[in-house]
Amino acid sequence: MAFLQISEPGESPEPHTRRLAVGIDLGTTNSLVATIRNAVPECLPDGEGRTMLPSAVQYAEGGDVVVGYEALKHRGDDALNTITSVKRFMGRSVADLRADTEARYNFTTPSGDGKGALKIVTRQGALSPIEVSAEILKSLKGRAEESLGGELYGAVITVPAYFDDAQRQATKDAAKLAGLNVLRLLNEPTAAAVAYGLDQHAEGTFLIYDLGGGTFDVSVLRLSRGVFEVLATAGDTHLGGDDFDAALAKHAFDTWALTRALSPTGQANLLAASRAAKETLSGADVATVRVDWGCGFDSKVDVTREQFSALTQPLVDRTMSAVKRTLRDAKLKADEIDGVVLVGGATRMPQVRAALEAHFGKPPLATMNPDEVVALGAAIQADQLAGNKSGEGESHLLLDVIPLSLGLETMGGLVEKIIPRNSTIPVAKAQEFTTFKDGQTAMALHVVQGERELVADCRSLARFELRGIPPMVAGSARIRVTFQVDADGLLSVSATETTSNVRAEVTVKPSYGLGDGEIASMLQSAFASANTDMQARALAEARVDALALVTALSNALFVDRALLNDGEHGALNSQIAHLKSLAEGSDHRAIVRASEALNLASTEFAGRRMDRAVREALTGRDIEKIV
Amino acid sequence: MNHFAAFDLAPKFALDSQELAARYRDLQAAVHPDRFVNATDAEKRIAMERAVEINEAFTTLKDPVRRAMHLLSLVNIDGMNEKNTSMPADFLIEQIEWREALADAKLKEDEERLEEMLTELEGMLASLGDTFGAAYKGEHYAVATTLARKMRFVQKLVEEAESALADLEQ
Repeated sequence: MAFLQISEPGESPEPHTRRLAVGIDLGTTNSLVATIRNAVPECLPDGEGRTMLPSAVQYAEGGDVVVGYEALKHRGDDALNTITSVKRFMGRSVADLRADTEARYNFTTPSGDGKGALKIVTRQGALSPIEVSAEILKSLKGRAEESLGGELYGAVITVPAYFDDAQRQATKDAAKLAGLNVLRLLNEPTAAAVAYGLDQHAEGTFLIYDLGGGTFDVSVLRLSRGVFEVLATAGDTHLGGDDFDAALAKHAFDTWALTRALSPTGQANLLAASRAAKETLSGADVATVRVDWGCGFDSKVDVTREQFSALTQPLVDRTMSAVKRTLRDAKLKADEIDGVVLVGGATRMPQVRAALEAHFGKPPLATMNPDEVVALGAAIQADQLAGNKSGEGESHLLLDVIPLSLGLETMGGLVEKIIPRNSTIPVAKAQEFTTFKDGQTAMALHVVQGERELVADCRSLARFELRGIPPMVAGSARIRVTFQVDADGLLSVSATETTSNVRAEVTVKPSYGLGDGEIASMLQSAFASANTDMQARALAEARVDALALVTALSNALFVDRALLNDGEHGALNSQIAHLKSLAEGSDHRAIVRASEALNLASTEFAGRRMDRAVREALTGRDIEKIV
Repeated sequence: MNHFAAFDLAPKFALDSQELAARYRDLQAAVHPDRFVNATDAEKRIAMERAVEINEAFTTLKDPVRRAMHLLSLVNIDGMNEKNTSMPADFLIEQIEWREALADAKLKEDEERLEEMLTELEGMLASLGDTFGAAYKGEHYAVATTLARKMRFVQKLVEEAESALADLEQ
C-alpha cells in the first residue's frame, strides 16, 4: 500500500485495539502469570485451577522437559536432573554459591576458573540458569496464550529489587529466550506496591517487606496522586523461605545424629519434610518433621513454634537490619511509615510478623494474598505499558531506584563510585579519569557493583579496554567514562578520550549474561531446519518492527502535525510510505535499514514533541497554582 | 545545563521543596520512558535523555549543598575546586573540634549526645544556607563561595553523625 490513509479529524488513524499483556512473577519457589481482565487484575490458573507454578524443571530421560508440579514430583527420585530454586543461580558463578544450601547439583563453569557464569550438568547436557528459567517462562507464556486466546504482545517480568546488573540481565535474557517481548523488568516490591496502592487507594509512605522463597527485599515508597516513588531499597538475594527450611532441616539432622551424609535424594526429602513442617507451624503450635528413608526406616522429630522461632532468629534479624538500613537511607523513622505491606509466602511465618510489629508498633498489612500480589502489580503495569489504558486520569507512574552503587576500579584495588545506590532511574553519570604513565595508550576499565570500598568485595560486572589513546604525558589524557542505567535497571558503559575522541562502549553483559550470538544460537537450535526458519524469523521481526514504527510515527504525526512545517511533514510521510512498501517485500535488511533511517529522520520531530510535553507539564502546574 | 530552567524556576537558593517535588513528578509523568514503550526508537531515546536530565536536576536542586554549588556554577565558579579558596582558620579549628566530639560520642556510644549534635549541625547548615542565599542574591560571589564550602564541611559532619547513629542502631 503506497498511500497513507487519511482519517477524519478527531479520529485516531489506528483503531484502539487491546493488546494482550501479562505480568510474570518469576519466583524462586513458585511462579505466576497475571493479566487484566474486565479492568481487574487476576492470576491465570492452570487446567486444574492452580495459579502457582512450582519453579521446578525436570530434564527427563528421552529429552522431555517437564515443568511445574510434575517436575516437582521427581525432586526426590531424580534429584540431579530436577532443578528447583534456579533463581538463586541467575547471574552467578560457582564461586558465589553457598556450600550448605545451594551446592545441590553438578555445576560446571565453561571458562574453567569457577568465576564465569555457571552451568548445571544434567542428563540433557550442561544448561545455564537462563535456559532453565526460560522453560518456566515458556510454560507461563503458553498458559497465558491459551487462556487469553491469542499471542502475547508483551510481558512485565519482576525481579528482586536487590538483584544486581548480572542477575537482571540474565532474567531479561531468559525472557527473550522464551520468546517474550519484555516491556519492562519491574522490581518485586514496587510491583506489590502498585497492586496494593491501587487496590486500597493508599496514599502515604509505605514499607514493603518481601520475603520470598529465595530472596528478600525491602523498599520504602511514597504513594501520592498516582505516583509511586521508591525512596530507598535494600535486601539480600540469598535469603528466603528456603533458608528457614534449611535451618529446620539442619536441626532435624543434628537431632537424629545420623552417621552418614545424605544422598541427594535424602537431602531433597528432608528439605521437603522441613518445608511442610514450617508451613504447619504458621497455623499450629507443634509440627513433626518426618522423613521416610525407604527400606522401612524413617526418622521424625517434633518442633514447637518457639523452637522454630529460636532456630530462625538470626535469619529474621538479618531482614530487620535491612529494614533499618532502608529507613535510614530514606531518612525516615519507623513511626513515619503509614503501613508495612507483606509480600511473599514466607511472610506467613508468625515470627516475621511479630518482629515487624515490634519495630513499627503496629501490625503489618496483609489484606492481599502475599503469593499473588507481585504478579498482580506486574499485570497492572504491563497493561499500562502496552498502552491499554487510554484515560489520563487512571494512569500511574513508577519512579524506581538502583539498589547497589555502580563504580570503577581505580589504583590499588579501590572502587570509585559513579552512581550511588538509591539513585532514581533512568540515570546517567560521567566521570573523568586520566593516565598514570607517560605514553600510556590503553586503559583497562573494570566495572563493579556494590557498597564496599575494595574491588574484591564487590561484584565484578565487566572489564573492557579503551585503546588507541594518543601517547601523552601522564595525567594529561582525559578519559570520560559514562554510566547509564535505563528504566529496567540495566547498565551500559561507554568511555571516550576527550582530547582525541577515541571511543569504547560496552553494554555490561559479557561476564554473566548471554551474548546476542549465544541467544541467537539457542533460538536457532530450537528450530528444526535452522537456516530458512531463521531467515523467515528475521523477516517477520523486521516487518513487525517496521509496522510498529510506522504506526507510532503516524499516530504522532496525526496528533502533532502542527509541530512540523509542510516540507518536514512531507519528507517524513514519503519515508513512511517507502518503508511500508519495503515491508511488503522480503528483503529484511532493506527493511531494517529503512526503519533506522526513518528513526533518525524523525529525531527532530521527537525532540519537539518532548519539548511540548515538558512545557505542558510545567504550564499545568502554574495554572493549578493560580487556581 | 541550568537545572533551575528545567523546572521553570528562577535561580535562587530559597526553594519550596514541596513545589519542587510536585513539578518533578509532573515532569517525569510527561517524559518517563514508561510513557514511550510503544513509541519510535527516536522518541524512546529522547525520553530516556530527558528523564535522566530531570532526575539529575531534581537530585541537584533538592540537596542544599549541591544547589548552592550549582548556583555558583551558573556564574562560572567551581565551588568544589580545592585550590579556589582557603578556609578561615577559626572555621577549620571548629571543624576539628566537631570531628573530635563526634568521635568521642561514637566511642562512648552516647546516642543522645549524637542526636543533639545532629540537630545542632542541621541547624547550622540551614542558617549557612540562608546566609548563602542572601550573599548570592547580592552578587557577593566570593562570600557566597566560602559559605557554600562551609556548608559542604558541615554536611559531611551531618553525614558522619548519621552514620555513627546508624552504627549504634545495628
